[in-house]
Amino acid sequence: MKINRKLTWVMLLGMTALFTQCKDSGEDVAPDDENELITTVILKFTEQGTTNVTTFKSSDPDGEGGNPPVIDNITLKPATTYSVETQILDESKSPAVDITKEVAEEAVDHLFVYTTSPAALLAYTASDKDANNLPIGIKGQAVTGAAGTGTLKVQLRHQVGTKNGSATPGSDDVNVDFPLKVQ
Amino acid sequence: MSKLSIVRKSIISIFSGVFLLLLTSTYSLAQTPACACFIKGVVRDQHTGLPVIGATVLMVGQNKAVFTDEQGRYMLDHICPGSYEIECRIVGYNPFREKIDLTSGHEEDFTLEESEIHLKDVEITAHRTDAPASQPLTTLSGTELFKTRGDNLAESLKGLTGVTSLQTGASISKPVIHGMHSNRVLIMNNGIRQEGQQWGSEHAPEIDPFVATRLSVVKGAAGVRYGSDAIGGVILVEPEELPINKPLSGEVNMAGFMNGRQGVISSTLQGGIRNLKGFGWRAQGTLKRGGNIRTPNYFLDNTGSSENNFSLAAGYRNKGFGIDLFYSRFDTKIGIFSGAHIGSLTDLLNVIKNGEPLVKSGFSYAIERPNQNVLHNLIKAETHYHFKDGNKLQWTIAQQLNDRNEFDLHRPRNDSIAALNRPELSFKLNTLTNDIVWDHKPIGKKISGQIGLSSLYQYNLMNGRPLIPNFNQFTVGLFWIERLVTHGWELEAGARFDYRTLSTHRIVRREKVSTDFTFSNFSGTIGAARNLTQNLSMTLNVGTAWRAPNVSELFSDGVHHGAAAYEKGDSTLQQEKAVNTIASFKYTSSRLTIELGGYYNYIADYIYLQPQPEPILTIRGAFPYFKYTQTNAVFRGVDLAVDWEVLHKLIWTGKLSYLNVYDKGNKNYLVMIPPNRLENQLKYLIGAGTKIQNTYISAGNLFVAQQKRVPENSDFAPPPKAYSLWNIQAGTTIPVSEKNEFEVSLAVNNLFNVAYRDYLNRFRYYADDMGRQVSLRLRWKFGA
Repeated sequence: MKINRKLTWVMLLGMTALFTQCKDSGEDVAPDDENELITTVILKFTEQGTTNVTTFKSSDPDGEGGNPPVIDNITLKPATTYSVETQILDESKSPAVDITKEVAEEAVDHLFVYTTSPAALLAYTASDKDANNLPIGIKGQAVTGAAGTGTLKVQLRHQVGTKNGSATPGSDDVNVDFPLKVQ
Repeated sequence: MSKLSIVRKSIISIFSGVFLLLLTSTYSLAQTPACACFIKGVVRDQHTGLPVIGATVLMVGQNKAVFTDEQGRYMLDHICPGSYEIECRIVGYNPFREKIDLTSGHEEDFTLEESEIHLKDVEITAHRTDAPASQPLTTLSGTELFKTRGDNLAESLKGLTGVTSLQTGASISKPVIHGMHSNRVLIMNNGIRQEGQQWGSEHAPEIDPFVATRLSVVKGAAGVRYGSDAIGGVILVEPEELPINKPLSGEVNMAGFMNGRQGVISSTLQGGIRNLKGFGWRAQGTLKRGGNIRTPNYFLDNTGSSENNFSLAAGYRNKGFGIDLFYSRFDTKIGIFSGAHIGSLTDLLNVIKNGEPLVKSGFSYAIERPNQNVLHNLIKAETHYHFKDGNKLQWTIAQQLNDRNEFDLHRPRNDSIAALNRPELSFKLNTLTNDIVWDHKPIGKKISGQIGLSSLYQYNLMNGRPLIPNFNQFTVGLFWIERLVTHGWELEAGARFDYRTLSTHRIVRREKVSTDFTFSNFSGTIGAARNLTQNLSMTLNVGTAWRAPNVSELFSDGVHHGAAAYEKGDSTLQQEKAVNTIASFKYTSSRLTIELGGYYNYIADYIYLQPQPEPILTIRGAFPYFKYTQTNAVFRGVDLAVDWEVLHKLIWTGKLSYLNVYDKGNKNYLVMIPPNRLENQLKYLIGAGTKIQNTYISAGNLFVAQQKRVPENSDFAPPPKAYSLWNIQAGTTIPVSEKNEFEVSLAVNNLFNVAYRDYLNRFRYYADDMGRQVSLRLRWKFGA
């Protein structure tokens, strides 16, 4: 009986030692880095035959949630041809990371899609091609129609191994609706 | 004779759902025209080998029952030849049933003299589990478990009434009990609470079902015995007792599945050590490979999976002392259907509109991105001492390391980062659990009970895309349960107190933010079990359980990819508390068994995702906005199971699960509640008594209704339509020699290759469920 009691005490003691094991997960907090984050889309319109440049921006520097994105109104002249250059940034990092370059490097997996509603407001044609001779859409040409208002949807389609020149495959990395006014 | 043995025969009961009695039998049997057969044997505790005194051994449907004596012996005599079912029951053990055939044609026995003893000697070994006596406990073992071999844990349990699964495609399933899952269902893996990242609906339990020879489900709140999270129920994954001093034995299981061209092999080898008394050991391993799953009309890209698991166990017993060591490693890599990756709500709506996935594929075993790679290590030591006066002390310590890595569809765009091929999400959860349980000696042979102290210490390290914080968590719980057996009643009552601290650490706008929480809760249980007549028994239990809000409910803040929803946590959430009332009736006669259970589970401060009126605008468009919030919810339902031998050897089985869930706070329904199910099966037994035993053919149907009780405008697509699936099965057992046995089964599920979608499959937006599945299973048991 005495032995049994001793055994009990040894077990209890062993247990209390184990109850106090410790490790602080707070010393080891990984930085809040998201590789794929895109916060900003910049559209640079240059009126053909001139040096008139207008820039429009959609920006959400704190990422998803928090403050909502701030989106500029796009205003263009009717029946005019513009060359368009698109830039995407991650402004949550300091300094901001230009993701356009990374997209250009992986052009075979990416496609910028520009959709106007109503369609007659603006027609976009990409002028750049990837290694498979499919459009990319970082650089292109926009021709405006008659005066009117609507939206310009800018999508960056991520199409790993499935890019075929159409918008259908893949998923959205960017999907922004810019208010558009042609006047 | 013990006191118990003079209790009136009709009481029998006192059966606690608490022990499982395992039968091993060595016998000779015979037949006489007169009623001179008898069954005798010994009831032993499987763990200690000590005789179990005062256990009831009864013949089901016959007015015959006896109690075991001081040596655990029993004898049922004056039995006419025939087929019987015997049942053994005692407080603290699961009731056990075994069919005994005293008609088998040993013709030579007819020549025996009248005075010759015709008997069946059945040794019963009782295995002890801790499930509450007054709560329904359903166990899957033997042939029923064999029929599920090769399936994952949740799929294996799906055949039980009131149990279904929450799926993420065909390869990831989580068990759902009475409409609850994840942090509301507790899994006890070999006596240890499973601690993975349970909060995630796409995080399946990291358990190899081949480790277990018994899978049990305790339905209803069981917070007193098991601590937090046991709100919907508890799943017990239990291996067999170690084969102390027994000869070498083992089994090899093989399963082949046509859909996914999946193959599974699992082997177990076990035995004692010849020159060392008191030792036993077991080694077990499983390999699994599967490729792309096919729906009736197309393959699902990247849905392969692979598993490499093994476990080792060793134990020593000497008189009342025992120690068991256990190590298991579960390692899986699961491909996630690539068509389920969406970037924006537009993407999701396009897939739903299209009706089938935009990503097409053929068959492949390759597992590409997106995928999950999960490693779960469990090491456990359990030691106990049975004091001579009847007291028992048990101490269990275990450590679990859960290493979960999730790879997104898209690699980082930056090539140098992409080259590292790091997971986009990585969680390392380290858990240490300690349980010490004191079983006091029975008081007046009527009251038995236990007092226990449990602790859990846990820390989580997180890396990658921000999702949940790092945290440290410490929980301590103290419980006390007593059982009284008197006048045909078994009464049970218990209480528990839990205290938990949680410290979380995360980075918000480049600054470290630490938040601390404390939670504490009292739980209670009270229940009764009684045999009303020889054929009818009932149980009633009222139990409470609780859980603290988990870190994702507290801190989520972002788009949930795959769900196309912006989810926001709330750090002011309080703990969830459940009060569950569960009653069950069981009628048993020789040809008919009916089990009817009803439950009413009231959950105060039920945590759920509430849709918000305004969407959240992001760079990828507007996402519907959901916020974790609390309400009071009621889960009520009925489980019914009927087993009826309609004609000789023709058995009909019917199972019905009905569930109705209501959000009392908002006077509305809740989302993601399993629809009602009805299962029917007709089984024909062939050639019992010949050399080829247990041969059957069966055909069945599963009908799953459409879930109509859903809140309006809370989902992107309406719940899928009702579906009806047919299945056929055939199986047999071939005894090669006394110690060599083959068991084989062939099954076809979704026989007519019906295209359907299940409401509880999170990929129902993207693709159909699995098409026809043909599976062949083979088991070779040797040495025992």
